[in-house]
Amino acid sequence: MSQSLKPYLTAVRHSLNSALCLQDFSSQLVERHNYPEIENKRTPEILLNPLYISRNESERVLIEPSINSIRVSLKIKQSDEIEEILVDKFTRFLTKRAENFLILRRVPIEGYDISFLLTNYHQEVMMKQKLVDFIIEFMEDVDKEISEMKLFLNARARFVAEAYLNVFD
Amino acid sequence: MLQLEPQNLLIEETFNTALAPGYEPVSLDRILTDFDFTTYHISTPQDKTKILLSIGIKCWSDLSKYGALELLQKKYGGYSFVKILSQGSCEPGYDVSLYIDIEQVQLDDEAKLELINELSLLKRNCFAAPFLKAFARYEVLAKETPVDPNNLYGEDSAATSNSNEEVLKLDYRGEESIYIKPSNDRVTVIFSTVFNDETDKIFSKVFLQEFSDARKRSIQKAPQVINSHKEVPLEIQHIAPPSDDKTYITFVLFPRHLSTEDVKWNSITHIQLFRSYFHYHIKIVKCYLHQRMRFRVQSFTKILNRARREVDEEELRAERKTASGRRFEVK
Repeated sequence: MSQSLKPYLTAVRHSLNSALCLQDFSSQLVERHNYPEIENKRTPEILLNPLYISRNESERVLIEPSINSIRVSLKIKQSDEIEEILVDKFTRFLTKRAENFLILRRVPIEGYDISFLLTNYHQEVMMKQKLVDFIIEFMEDVDKEISEMKLFLNARARFVAEAYLNVFD
Repeated sequence: MLQLEPQNLLIEETFNTALAPGYEPVSLDRILTDFDFTTYHISTPQDKTKILLSIGIKCWSDLSKYGALELLQKKYGGYSFVKILSQGSCEPGYDVSLYIDIEQVQLDDEAKLELINELSLLKRNCFAAPFLKAFARYEVLAKETPVDPNNLYGEDSAATSNSNEEVLKLDYRGEESIYIKPSNDRVTVIFSTVFNDETDKIFSKVFLQEFSDARKRSIQKAPQVINSHKEVPLEIQHIAPPSDDKTYITFVLFPRHLSTEDVKWNSITHIQLFRSYFHYHIKIVKCYLHQRMRFRVQSFTKILNRARREVDEEELRAERKTASGRRFEVK
């Protein structure tokens, strides 16, 4: 783990821990409705201040807490065209399977690659500590996976090119 | 399967069974396809023992201009039982037909295998014509103006830069073309290719970079590979229209690739498979990455599932009562 990654992840972990303090909250606007308040943002008094944690220009996390839900959005590092493609493919792959991922938001919010939406319901069926663990692990693994895939692509291209050119003699 | 095979497996198998001893003649009607919009039709129109093998190639008009028919004559004309039909007399919808009377085939096993091999290489043989023509022209040019051995750096002198030398052009896939240009010390083969998919285009850059670097790194025997996006190479600037979405790949074949007959055929066989090989491997990489992501997503689901609270079965089934003493069950 690189030097700057650890403090970054620690900061995210602590912020998530404090933000994940959710309770059931029925809508004040529509009777008998209960939805994630962070998504419609029409009751300003129960929204908390959003939080940005940036590692560098291209990697950051946005945490938007509210009384009964929080939204966590990630921006994944993309330094060149190939990484852009890989990240795009990977996040699309995940969002298409959002059903299995309970907490995954089907569409990331603007400016980010992937968003999670955690509500008080999720906190009831899942353990808070483990949820935080999941998000941290996800952040770690995504970076690793993307760079591994990129390396693989280069290695494969080299192998293929050499196999083709070796036949000429 | 790393390398693509130049021969067509289905033709090979068809003739392998047809020419095997004790073959029971059956009527055939098979349509086969190959790379670059090539189609074959194997049929027995009149007699069960007479097989008609037809081939349709998109750029046949170009190939015949460069002497493909003469080459086929040379390749298959030696067999008395093979009739080569072209233009008016070949099967409608196809460009060339070979009519093979298998009853007349009287060859020993080795010659038979060679015949089968040649038949399955029909497409390559058609495509070889312009290459052979260019190689022949290179030999003439090399004799006329021998390469100056003192010119170590291969600088083009006024005499050798033959910019008005004819460039052979094959529109083998409509949009995409092969250009072949002979010169006195090399033969340049240029492929132009189009990518329908943006992703393919970007992956192709990685691949082409490796193709160009491979020679510098380890394989000195290989032809030089130069690639350019959008920019039309100098050799063909006067005939290729400028376009935005084409990628050009230049192969420079040196005298060592054109020295003997065997080496020449080897070069031809491989170079004309380049486009298929290149596109095929891009698809393979995409496929692998897809698989890998699938696996990754699965492992993420596992991690997330670990977070679920375990529901205590017994607690669920336990009897519950409200304050007033009414019983109820949790669903």
